Amino acid sequence: MQNKMKYLITATILSLASLCFGQTAKEIIQRADDKMQGNSNKSLMRMTIVRPDWKREVTMKGWALGRKYSLILITAPARDKGSAFLKREKEMWNWQPSIDRVIKLPPSMMLQSWMGSDFTNDDLVKESSIVNDYTHSLGADTIINNLDCYKIILIPFPDAPVVWGKIIVYIDKTEYNQHLVYYYDEDDFLINTMVLSKLKNMGGRIIPTHLEMIPADEPQNKTVIEYLSMEFDLDLKDSFFSLQNMKRIR
Amino acid sequence: MMYLTLAWRNIWRNKRRSYITIASITFAVLLACVMRSLQLGSYERMIENAARFYTGYIQIHKNGYWNEKIIDNSFTYDDKLIKTVESTQGVVSAVPRVESFALAGYGSKTKGSLIIGIDPEKENTLTRVKEKIVKGNYLESGDKAAMIAEGLATYLNIGIGDTLVLIGQGYHGANAAGLYVVKGIMKFPVPEQNNQTVYIPIKEAQWFFAMDNMITSISLVVDKAKNVDKIVANISANVDTGQLEVMGWRDLMPDLVQGIEIDNISGRVMLGILYIVIGFGMFGTFLMMTAERMYEFGVMMSVGMKRYKMQLIIFLEMGMMTAIGVLMGVGISLPILIYYYNNPIFMSGESAAAIESFGIEAAYFFSLQPQLFYNQAWAILIMALILSIYPLYIIHKLKPVEAMREA
Repeated sequence: MQNKMKYLITATILSLASLCFGQTAKEIIQRADDKMQGNSNKSLMRMTIVRPDWKREVTMKGWALGRKYSLILITAPARDKGSAFLKREKEMWNWQPSIDRVIKLPPSMMLQSWMGSDFTNDDLVKESSIVNDYTHSLGADTIINNLDCYKIILIPFPDAPVVWGKIIVYIDKTEYNQHLVYYYDEDDFLINTMVLSKLKNMGGRIIPTHLEMIPADEPQNKTVIEYLSMEFDLDLKDSFFSLQNMKRIR
Repeated sequence: MMYLTLAWRNIWRNKRRSYITIASITFAVLLACVMRSLQLGSYERMIENAARFYTGYIQIHKNGYWNEKIIDNSFTYDDKLIKTVESTQGVVSAVPRVESFALAGYGSKTKGSLIIGIDPEKENTLTRVKEKIVKGNYLESGDKAAMIAEGLATYLNIGIGDTLVLIGQGYHGANAAGLYVVKGIMKFPVPEQNNQTVYIPIKEAQWFFAMDNMITSISLVVDKAKNVDKIVANISANVDTGQLEVMGWRDLMPDLVQGIEIDNISGRVMLGILYIVIGFGMFGTFLMMTAERMYEFGVMMSVGMKRYKMQLIIFLEMGMMTAIGVLMGVGISLPILIYYYNNPIFMSGESAAAIESFGIEAAYFFSLQPQLFYNQAWAILIMALILSIYPLYIIHKLKPVEAMREA
């Protein structure tokens, strides 16, 4: 009896330990990624592009289903209202109502800035690849904003269609939110820094609602994305992400 | 004074010989003047074509725009700036522009094009773009329409009244997309311009590129091209040069300036060869004269004429004949050049078309810069004086008996 008890306690401790410490870096990334994405989501965002002597605000609605489909509709400013970006698998389309045309963004444009921000078209299309296109390893834990965080180093697979040479992500241990992301190029130079902050409850999840992308070579520039609202796990079908719907949606 | 009289009489003692000498100098000056005038004239025309009809003699932009011509390097076009620039002495008008690239499409065809936002009236004072219209009408400031270059229109297969699609990137990467009805078709002589230019009113361009009240450049029409440097300095003193750059045409078109410099060097080499040929011709006449007058020199010396006095007289003769030749050369070339300056020679036919395809006007233009004349005059005068060393040297070495016997 006592032996059995001992066995049970050991087993419990062991399994607890494995639960707490045994997750791999990949699982942590996967979990953080799932948390921000959900199976599907709908969001209302405000993007502010900040330059030393100039800034612009763009508000938009976004829908996403899994990692393959997403749709972004610009709602302001007035001159861009109604234009939409559709991502289907690895392709990206742009609807320009002012000229009544759908434009497929070619691969050569993927590294260009998206709407003049510090995000590239590629950032929109290949978001999910941080799980599948990289090897993940754990670095030393760090404390950011009083939260105990994992430091995870992502190195892309040699054949992965990725522009970065290395990414370092800090993910907190309780909520699995990303707090700080460093993007490096192949020569190990810092290119971009993303700072995520202002944790809020949106759609039943505590998530960072304030994203700042800061290019390392022009630190006075930045692009801020604020989530105004977010809902998760809606009933969206892949037929929603069609060229026809991109033109129709309001 | 007596020497002068003597020299003068000596010249006319043998009229035929002097006429030949004077004529050779006259033709030398005439030839050099015409050649140089033609060359300088073509440079002036090139500069005028480029500066007067496109860039303007002076441009103002945001600092750094000329090195990196992107729409993000644009500046605010406010009344204060307009006033400062337009009130500067020598400025006739200030022409604002918005220039950037975008895709122009019609039907299934698309081509990268230069989109130029213009103030239609002001633009016409600079580039006379109204005269370039071959079809349709000129833009008016309130239009939401475009004028398109003929080559581009042919490529897109677009006509008057069709709707041109423009799509590109605006200020700081904003989406730029718009529809414009084609109102006019323009024909430019330079193929590069003819194949890619689209004009839209400046207000439309500012909306299209999402840059309210901003422009990429101001081009200035000035009263006299030679005042450019002074006007640049005056404007620079009155605007914030930390923000804006004021550039004269030499800085705006370094490639043209350098091209002219290279061509100018080859022109100078040709001129040098011409001088050498002319020089030998002149030398021939001097040689003839010296040989002919050997006996005379011998006699003069035997009756007691001092060598240096004889040399002085010969030198004065040479100087007078050269001066007469140079003056006649300038005198003859002046009316010819004035005539061709006012009536340039236009080529026609196939050769003209071949030259025009290089983006150069098929015509000969002449220049009337005063430096042209006195440069030639000085060069020939100095050459004649150098050549006159020969007779002086002969006199210096002259032995009267041998001279008389040889002759």
